[in-house]
Amino acid sequence: MKFKPFFLLVFAWVWVSLAACLPSPRPDRPAGYLVIALESNPTHLDPRYATDANSVRIGGLIFNALTHTDQHARLQPELAERWEAVDERTYLFHLKKGVTFHDGKPLTAADVKFTYESVLDPRNRSPKRATLRLLKAVDAIGPYQVRFRLSAPYAPFLENSTFGIVPTGTPSHGASGENSLIGSGPFSLEQFSPGEKVVLKANPSYWGGQPGLSGLVFKMIPDAIVRSLEFKKGTVDFIQNDIEPDNLIWFKKNTNASILTQQGTIFQYLGMNLDHPILKILEVRQAIAYAIDREAIIRHLLKGLATPATGLLSPSHWAYERSVPRLPYDPEEAKRLLDHAGFPDPDGDGPLPRFKLSYKTTTLDLRRRIAEAFKEQLSRVGIELEVRTYEWGTFYGDIQKGNFHLYSLSWVGITDPDIYFNLFHSSSIVPYGNNRGRYRNPEIDRLLERGRNSLSPEERKQIYSQVQKILAVELPTIPLWWAKNVVLMKRNIEGFVPFPDGDLISLKNVSIASPLPPS
Amino acid sequence: MKRYFTNRLLLFVPTLMGSLTLVFFLIHFIPGDPVEVMLGETASSVDKEALRQELGLNQPLGIQYIRFFSALLQGDLGRSLYEQGAVAELILSRFPATMELTLAAMGIALFVAFPLGILAAVKKNSLMDRIALLFSLLGLAMPNFWLGPLLMIIFSIELGWLPVSGREGLAHLILPSFTLGMLMASILIRMVRSSLLETIHEDYIQTARAKGLSEWRVWLKHALGNSLLSVITIVGLQFGALLAGSIITETIFAWPGIGRLTIQAIQTRDYPLVQGCVLVISTSYLVVNFLTDILYHLADPRVSYGP
Repeated sequence: MKFKPFFLLVFAWVWVSLAACLPSPRPDRPAGYLVIALESNPTHLDPRYATDANSVRIGGLIFNALTHTDQHARLQPELAERWEAVDERTYLFHLKKGVTFHDGKPLTAADVKFTYESVLDPRNRSPKRATLRLLKAVDAIGPYQVRFRLSAPYAPFLENSTFGIVPTGTPSHGASGENSLIGSGPFSLEQFSPGEKVVLKANPSYWGGQPGLSGLVFKMIPDAIVRSLEFKKGTVDFIQNDIEPDNLIWFKKNTNASILTQQGTIFQYLGMNLDHPILKILEVRQAIAYAIDREAIIRHLLKGLATPATGLLSPSHWAYERSVPRLPYDPEEAKRLLDHAGFPDPDGDGPLPRFKLSYKTTTLDLRRRIAEAFKEQLSRVGIELEVRTYEWGTFYGDIQKGNFHLYSLSWVGITDPDIYFNLFHSSSIVPYGNNRGRYRNPEIDRLLERGRNSLSPEERKQIYSQVQKILAVELPTIPLWWAKNVVLMKRNIEGFVPFPDGDLISLKNVSIASPLPPS
Repeated sequence: MKRYFTNRLLLFVPTLMGSLTLVFFLIHFIPGDPVEVMLGETASSVDKEALRQELGLNQPLGIQYIRFFSALLQGDLGRSLYEQGAVAELILSRFPATMELTLAAMGIALFVAFPLGILAAVKKNSLMDRIALLFSLLGLAMPNFWLGPLLMIIFSIELGWLPVSGREGLAHLILPSFTLGMLMASILIRMVRSSLLETIHEDYIQTARAKGLSEWRVWLKHALGNSLLSVITIVGLQFGALLAGSIITETIFAWPGIGRLTIQAIQTRDYPLVQGCVLVISTSYLVVNFLTDILYHLADPRVSYGP
């Protein structure tokens, strides 16, 4: 009987593991809840820490901010009834009365003051502290008036009125304490299991009216195929953007999903190192822009889920400038520009290139395929592209240091056009900002400084219009495309309105018409 | 024997220190900056520098190494840079899920592999043997990222018997543990079969047969018991590998385990969290190996552990 103890151990093993997995008392989908699949985990629901898109979007359902941006990136009242610029350094916000937190306590100016001061406190390590660097003081003037005083005029400051307000005394201990977060939004936090799911419950006493759903379940499903299968089975009701372009055709054929596509604001661009002896020549940058066939990449690789871009701001933005020079696909023009720039093709259609450049990208499948398309398209005009793929952390580290020839990334969540300052002002050259390509243009510097100091929306629109025109000619980065938002939902879901920036706030108005069988 | 086990336990410390040291330097040497991830793209270089100073990330690596180990000796794994919570808490919240999956996968592998391996050996070159070997070959040839979705399509979508992904209850455990257990079962089937076939020609087996014992009794009691040593070695090694390496299965089945946490920590250059995950994985590996040694003795008391 030598092996008996071994088998006993095995039996014990299996029973322990089975006992550990007794069904959880909480059902997968409580009645009246909408299940939404997400690709990545929201890291922090606390609005003082939320920076990733999913955290911001889910946080927007739990918390209210003083203002929110509309579909044109214009600020609209939320907790603030109205606001005014007392002078160029002082803003006064008048709060709505009768707003309460989920625990029934009233939301007052003291809570607004607490939220902003706790972001400013360096001990709390809030990633949003940098955006408030010109904020000198926040004063509660009575229960429903808040005054913000700045140390210098700064028009984009109002953008900071869009992050959520937490009740006075909310600890800032991060993820581990985030199951007890209280807001004033249409949904309250019921459960936050990092890496697994976030469950929100409808707030019946929401000041803006009771939501149409009993609650929301955000399920983290990292794999694209599995998200599709969950939708097909009927265990997921709603997916926004976390859909691989290739899978969209499958959805159309195999499910009866309602599919909405809408122009989004996510901007994809080709970044270039302007300190590179070849890339600093304008004609080379223009030639690269002419050599890239954006339409073909959008059609074949992105399955139509993007629109060729002319610049950072999308057409829905209030400061968008329509009349900028466009660079269509024109390989012959690209060749002519390269010849003129002093880089003739050494052997015509032969294998020798005019010059070589490297292109850095991540290991994601779609990114690698786009890189291969760039390689092929640039080779047609005689530029040899060496594609180098890196794990995200290494790739991003290199880009932030300015260690690259060419790379491609996207900008998400563009609101105020002052973002141009961070990307193209000479004082923002890495590591001091995100001018990773090291672009220097005194005229752009002057315009961007004026843009952030002017409080007149009309004047700002004119300034940023000039900025867009100059950048479209100078091409410090090559605009590629604006991604479209794709929403996939069951047909019985009513009332969802997609936002260009992917905001999910309209989920508060969503209702389920009648139960449907699995798609 | 007591001395042997004491020595093995004492060896835990240098082994753990070695693996933690190696990972500490590797993760610090690869490019990437946790402060960039923590503060986001809008942060000023002054703020980034201040945070680096506060976290001690601008100190010489040697000093950071000493600080890490002195905190560890006081039982402090530190706080995650990205997730903000305590590393120990984060790991504790994920470890049960990984343990559950590993144990279930192991259970499935053993229950599939032993009967099939024994049958294949007893009925060598028969149809049964060929079926068992084919099953094993298929298991080895099918990668998890393919087998997982295939099982989902069959059992969740077409038949509708099981949930697709997530971790809600017993039903959710079946597909991921089968996906993970399949590869291990495939290796074990071949191990059990070949060990049994080696043992069956030993003299004491002939003696057992001469005593008039039934053929099944000879195989199960005399041959299997003595061929277990090599099987236990593989099981022990595989168990450790499963604890550390079920990342793909965890990702496919949206299983909130430690594998996904480790990958995320590496991607965000969350140094304390990477160290914490490595500590847990290394400790689990060592404990499993230690238990394997005890099992050796249980399986065959002739195995001694020195004076």
